[in-house]
Amino acid sequence: MKFLNKIIFFFYREYKLNLSGVQDILTNIIFFFVSIFIFIFSIGPDTDTISLIGVGILWTLLLLSSTLSLRKFYQEDFENGNLLIMHLNGFSYGLIAILKTISHFIFVQIPFLITIPIASILLNITNDKAFYLFASFSIGSLILSCLGSISSSMNLMNQRNFLLGSVIVMIFSVPVVIFSVGLINLEEDFNSLINILFGILLIIFVINPWASGFCLKLSLENN
Amino acid sequence: MIIVKDLSVERLDKKIFENINLSLTSGNITILKGRNGSGKTTLLKTILNIIEPSSGSIYWKGKLLKKNLYDFYKHVTYIADKTSSLTKLTVKDNINIWNKIFLSNINNSQIETAIKNLKLENYLNHKVGILSFGETKKLEFLRLIIENKKIWILDEPLSSLDEDSVELIKQTFEDHVAKEGSIIFSSHQNPGIYVTEEINL
Amino acid sequence: MKFLVNPNKFNKVSNYLFKPVLVLSIILFSLGLLFSFYLSPDDYQQGSTVRIMYIHVPSAWLALLTYAIMTIYSIAALAFRIPFGFIINTAVAPIGAVFTLVCIISGSLWGKPMWGTWWVWDARLTSVAILFIVYLIVIFINLSFENRVIKEKVVAIFILVGSVNLPIVKFSVDWWNTLHQTATISKLSKPSIDPSMMTPLIIMTFAFMMIGIAIAILRIKTEIISRKLNLS
Repeated sequence: MKFLNKIIFFFYREYKLNLSGVQDILTNIIFFFVSIFIFIFSIGPDTDTISLIGVGILWTLLLLSSTLSLRKFYQEDFENGNLLIMHLNGFSYGLIAILKTISHFIFVQIPFLITIPIASILLNITNDKAFYLFASFSIGSLILSCLGSISSSMNLMNQRNFLLGSVIVMIFSVPVVIFSVGLINLEEDFNSLINILFGILLIIFVINPWASGFCLKLSLENN
Repeated sequence: MIIVKDLSVERLDKKIFENINLSLTSGNITILKGRNGSGKTTLLKTILNIIEPSSGSIYWKGKLLKKNLYDFYKHVTYIADKTSSLTKLTVKDNINIWNKIFLSNINNSQIETAIKNLKLENYLNHKVGILSFGETKKLEFLRLIIENKKIWILDEPLSSLDEDSVELIKQTFEDHVAKEGSIIFSSHQNPGIYVTEEINL
Repeated sequence: MKFLVNPNKFNKVSNYLFKPVLVLSIILFSLGLLFSFYLSPDDYQQGSTVRIMYIHVPSAWLALLTYAIMTIYSIAALAFRIPFGFIINTAVAPIGAVFTLVCIISGSLWGKPMWGTWWVWDARLTSVAILFIVYLIVIFINLSFENRVIKEKVVAIFILVGSVNLPIVKFSVDWWNTLHQTATISKLSKPSIDPSMMTPLIIMTFAFMMIGIAIAILRIKTEIISRKLNLS
């Protein structure tokens, strides 16, 4: 019971923090929409072409804009010592990684999920495909959060080259994108492909606390 | 309660300190003295098992601390040399969050008197970001009261505080020791705090 | 075999090994070039372009082998606390990157006359390109951390996570229907390649391997020295 309370108040803390920085999340979403506009301007407003490649564009832009906020993943809590204090209050490193990943999913990725219907209207995507996009991104974004946790915990002590963190996330998200877009374009294969996505999610969800926890421990040790 | 035996720490193949012996029982205040870069913070972090020692061992209640880690963490408050309060939130929110996340058993009136003693009552609805460094440092000490644990491990608690606050800290230390608590803190000078053990690094 | 895990022993052994390896690599390389250009036949379908294979296939094998070695050493370094593994990781990564680049470029040159395009997005080509980027990220992580202790462990973890790509590269031609042909040489079954082409291929593979080992010895030695002097 005590343990559950702690987790609940962890999320309360994350909620408060994200509420005070709500403009950051909104900026991400604006980035997402502006890049959709730019994409449309650069290929021309032909509706057939747009609806043909719309799903791919949306997935790419979702991936890019959700990696934008990676820097905030652990950095602030690491720099002001909150990670250490949480660890001293009974959160193991792996648990911190899991909780942070879930809170990143809730506070950064869910806003994107909410905007997907609007974005798919802009790109002339049919309702079926928009639904598949929604389903694939709701799993894929959790995978992205796990990858983000791993890469940003790796780069905590990397003062010089933070873009490396985004590159790491993007290179490992290649299979996710392949299967998600395949899922949307090959509708008859929906079940098998979504099972593959779930499989990737399970694997990465198990690796995440181990890898991020190790990196967090390492960074705190050498800070 | 804590016994440190022949502790040595190496980082990047460089010896930071060697063969430190230390024992902390209830009602003790230990001060770590030393110049900058002598490894005061490293020693405190090693005691907290954040940094792995290259040799030597630490015991907690007679058992190896590593095997008893989370029980040890239940009894210890650590204040680092930087302030951990969230600068985007107000003082009140910070106190609320601490109160909840540490599952504190302190009631509100005790916290209020502590706030009054630290002279922070006028800032309750201000964001922490606009407070001065000394004030955030004082806010940090509120954690000692809220967490309400036996062992206090403090890194440079006295730097950048005015005389009144130092006096208050002294008083708090004495109260804590009287309640069978124990304190270990690092500092380069000792402004007349009663200490039972002094370790020079 | 202790020299594979102990820097001092490695220094001693490599002092004896370096010159023979260098000489051997020069001999093998000239022999291999001779074989591949003059003593091996043209392919009945591909004509003379088949000779690109003698660069392409060895470099591809060695790119994979180098990553596999890095993976093994990362496990050894993290799990069994053998710091020599970190030295290997830092020293060997650029060599693997160069092998991968050679493989990609030669493959692209081979693809233009055979497939009619420099590049196609099939599974094998894409996964090798990802392997190249993974190598680059390993090098960049090595360059961008200031604290050595954390750098080498982060690199090792990244290599472990990135090793997911290895089986994908190896089996991509079997799992998906790709433009790239399937493996023609395997140990388990009789190779489907003519012996006259097999000989130069084997010689070139060993030549590439020897060159790789010679450069690796030099790089590992510099790495050991720079660690002793605390330069990195």
